[in-house]
Amino acid sequence: MNCELAHERIVTAIYGELPDEQMHELDRHMTGCPDCHCDREQLLAMKILADAHPVLEPPANLVARSRLRLEEALDALPPKRWYERLTQRMVNNYASIQAAPFAACLLLVVGAGAGILGSYEYMQSHRARVAATHPAAAPVVEAAPAEIANISSIVRQPNSEMVEVRYNQLVPQQMEGSLDDPKVRELLMLASENAASADVRDDSVGLLAAECRAGHSCQATGIRDALMVVLRYDRSAGVRLKALDGLQPYVAADTHVRDAVLEALMNDSDLRIRSEAVNILEPVEADTTVRQVLHSVANSDQNPHIRTVSREVLSRVPEIQ
Amino acid sequence: MAATTAMNGGKSAHDRMQARAPEMELIREAQSGSRSAFDALVRQYEHQVLRLALHLTGSEHDAEDIYQEAFLKAYRYIGNFRFECSFYTWIYRIVTNLCLDQLRRRKTRREDHAVVIDHSGDEIDVLASVSDDRSFSNPAKELDRKVLGMRIQAALSKLTPRERMVFELKHYQGLRLRTIGEMLSTTEETAKNTLFRATKKLRTQLAELR
Repeated sequence: MNCELAHERIVTAIYGELPDEQMHELDRHMTGCPDCHCDREQLLAMKILADAHPVLEPPANLVARSRLRLEEALDALPPKRWYERLTQRMVNNYASIQAAPFAACLLLVVGAGAGILGSYEYMQSHRARVAATHPAAAPVVEAAPAEIANISSIVRQPNSEMVEVRYNQLVPQQMEGSLDDPKVRELLMLASENAASADVRDDSVGLLAAECRAGHSCQATGIRDALMVVLRYDRSAGVRLKALDGLQPYVAADTHVRDAVLEALMNDSDLRIRSEAVNILEPVEADTTVRQVLHSVANSDQNPHIRTVSREVLSRVPEIQ
Repeated sequence: MAATTAMNGGKSAHDRMQARAPEMELIREAQSGSRSAFDALVRQYEHQVLRLALHLTGSEHDAEDIYQEAFLKAYRYIGNFRFECSFYTWIYRIVTNLCLDQLRRRKTRREDHAVVIDHSGDEIDVLASVSDDRSFSNPAKELDRKVLGMRIQAALSKLTPRERMVFELKHYQGLRLRTIGEMLSTTEETAKNTLFRATKKLRTQLAELR
């Protein structure tokens, strides 16, 4: 330590602001340096002299006078307006944020996090609402098994337990319309061929047969063909009988109808149908095919009534012709 | 030992915070426009302000002016106080700036005159009133205490305003160099260097008394 540095440290030392390690260093220097030792003595003397000019308490009169004068000055000041206080507060708040950048950043991060979380929650709830309003998108069908018509295909995804099932659903509908409406007639023909219930087939065939007997157009719309199919293949005798009644007006003109009636006469198991078929064929008994069938039935039909009626019809043929 | 010191230090810091809590409330109320809160703050610090101003200027009239101006400034700008330092440091900063202005004005007005003003307002030339016999062996016998004080005041007046202020705050007010640096808007190191220069000048000025 040189003497110049020692002189500086002596000042801080006598005012009690020199750190301990520097104090020890200063003491070691001064033990071997009379000039610095003398400098410290002079400084201590100056310090004692300076104390001869002590700090005195202010006189009470001075305090009272100063206070009174200040209060008068403060009373004379106009009060701060509300917008001045507001502006001051805003400036202070802004300064606080400036003085705390970490807090500002933290606030920003928390705000961004809350925004992302809120968006995620909103999207989740939005998806739930969409799924609720569009049930077709839901892969589970147990909710309405009765509505499924059939399963069209099943495909399992490779190396997975995921399965894709395609199915059709029946949607009940209804309509009203005239018997002359082609749409209604189409539905009635469909019912006559495919309806599981015999009552539904009976109703539909009865209606179609009535239309044909009433002279409404039955050829162009395929009603006649539908009645012939029913006569040949329907399981219910009553339904077949109604179809036979519906074909009656066309036996003379339509050979396809005549063939269908002849088949019924020869093959139908129901007596009423065979008997009714003989009556229907009476106007065309002169037809060779009809006569052959009548001969066959007259000779071989298991029912005597059918055999008798057939012979009577054949016996009138020369007279007719 | 160190732990005990630290605990004591922590406890004293806690006590200081508790002691400052009502003051913080007063400051906040004053910032909101409460006049009574500001009056309470004035009463809390007025003696220290007057003591400093009176000792620095040596004039009751100047001390009264400084008191007035300091607290009016504090009232006007208390909204700017942001609790970054103690209110004590903040109000002292205002007072020391006003005192420095006063010292600078006086130094320009009476450059080489060691003049002090007594309580009645009369000027006294200190150096002219000192005896020519300057033996320092027994100053109590040769100079009465009042004259010695005036001579010291005359020696102090030879310092620059800044040196005078640092010496005042360190020697007479007993503040830490770091606090002095804060009050004068400078560093602790600069305050230390200023103190060093001030003591060096004072030693020279007072050497003739020995």
